[in-house]
Amino acid sequence: MASRTGLRSAGWQAWILGLLWLGHGLWVVNGRWPGLGLLKTLDLVSGPVLRVSAKWEASREARNQRVRNLAIAEEEIARLKSRVGLFELQEAKEGPRRAEAEEAIRLLGLKQQLPLETMAARVIANTRNAPFGGLVIDQGSVLNIQPDQGVIAPEGVVGRVWSVGPRQASVLPLDAYNASTGVMLARSRATGVLQGTGPGMAEIRYISSQEGVQVGEEVYTSGLDRIFPRGLLIGFVSRVRPRDSELRVEVALSAPLDRLHLLLVLPPKPPIEVSPPAVPPMGPGKGPQ
Amino acid sequence: MNVPNGPARVRSSLICLLALVGIFFTAPWPSLQAVFHVALVLGLAPLEQVPLVAGLWAVAAGWVSEGPLRMVPHPGGAAWVDLTLALTVLFFNRFWPPDRRLIWWARLAGFTLLHALLLHLAVALASGAHTWGRGWVWALLTSPLWAMLAWRLKPTAYQR
Repeated sequence: MASRTGLRSAGWQAWILGLLWLGHGLWVVNGRWPGLGLLKTLDLVSGPVLRVSAKWEASREARNQRVRNLAIAEEEIARLKSRVGLFELQEAKEGPRRAEAEEAIRLLGLKQQLPLETMAARVIANTRNAPFGGLVIDQGSVLNIQPDQGVIAPEGVVGRVWSVGPRQASVLPLDAYNASTGVMLARSRATGVLQGTGPGMAEIRYISSQEGVQVGEEVYTSGLDRIFPRGLLIGFVSRVRPRDSELRVEVALSAPLDRLHLLLVLPPKPPIEVSPPAVPPMGPGKGPQ
Repeated sequence: MNVPNGPARVRSSLICLLALVGIFFTAPWPSLQAVFHVALVLGLAPLEQVPLVAGLWAVAAGWVSEGPLRMVPHPGGAAWVDLTLALTVLFFNRFWPPDRRLIWWARLAGFTLLHALLLHLAVALASGAHTWGRGWVWALLTSPLWAMLAWRLKPTAYQR
C-alpha cells in the first residue's frame, strides 16, 4: 500500500517500531549506567531545537508585548485626544475674552498717553454694512456723551459720535459716505477733508495738485474740525490721482472698523494741540493697518 | 498484508484491552498479574496483523505492569522486553505458522520462559538487583489456557 509520501505504510511502521525499541533500550541502559551521559547527549542533541524554540517564544512574547504596548498607546492617544479636545474647546471659549483683554490693555495704554479725559466704551453692535449704519456703543447721555465727540481706537481714529441715547450712542465711522474729518498729511503738512468712500477706505479732498503726496504717507487728524486733536493717526495714503486742480488722495484707514470691541470717546471740543503718542501702541504681533 | 475484517479486529482489540485492564487491577497480586501480562504480550498482541499495533499493545502491557506499584526505581525494562518478544512471536506466527495446537502451545511456553529470563535481565539492567517472583511459574502453568484462547482467536492466515 503506497502512502502519499511514496513510502510503504509498513516501512513507516518499521521505522516507528525501531525507534520505539531503540528508545526503550537506551532508557533501560541509562537506568543502569546513568554515567554514560545519555541524558546529556539528549540535551546536546535537543539544544539547538530548544534554543530556536526559546528564540521563537521570545519573539512571540515580544510581539505580544508590542501588541499590548500598542493597545496601551492607542488608549493613551484616545485619552490625550479627548484632553486636547477639551483644551481646544476651552481655548475657543477663552479666545474672544483673551483678544478683548489684549485690546483693553492697548486701549489702557493709549488712554494713559493721551492728556485728555477720555471715556472707554464697548461696541455692542456693528451695523456698518447696513445703509447709514455705524457702530453702537454702550455709553450715552447718562454719562454726558454728546454728538460730535471723537472716537478712537489703539490702531487709529474710528469716527465721531453721531446720535446719542440715554445709554447708547451711535458712532459714524470714517468710511461712511457722510463722514467728514479734518486731516493733514505727515510730510507735506497739507490739510484737507477726509470723506468716506466705502468699507475701510476714505478720500482726502481739497489737496492742491501742487502738493507732493506719496503713497504710504501717514495721514493724521488736523484738529481743525474741533472733534479730534491734531496728530491722531487716520491711515495711510494708498493711491494718489490728479483730478482737475486738486489731488484725489485715497486713504486706507488704520482702524479695523469691522473688528472693534473697545473704544475711547474723546471729550467734546478738545484742544487742537495735544501731545499724542508718536507711535500708536500695538499689541504683540500687531502692526499699523 | 492480510488485514482481518472489522468485527474480528474489534473483538481482538477488546480482548487486548481487557487483558491490559486486568494487568492494571491485578497489581496487588503479582502472580495473577504475570498471567495477564504474559497472555497479552505473547498470546494476544501478536495476533494483531499490523506490527505497530502489536508493538504498542506490548509496550503498554510492560509500562502498566511496572507502573502502578512503582516497585522498581527505573521502570521501562518490561516494556522493552515485551516489545521485543511480541514482535518476535509475531514474526514466528507469520512465517512459521503452526498447524497443530500442541506445537502452538509448546512454542508459547518456550517464549514464556524466554520472556521471564529476558524480563529479569532487563529489569536488572535498568533498576539493579531485585527479587524474582513466582509469576513466571503461574504464567507457564496457565499457558494451556491462554494459549488455546489465542489459538481460537488467531487469524486463518496463520493456518497452512
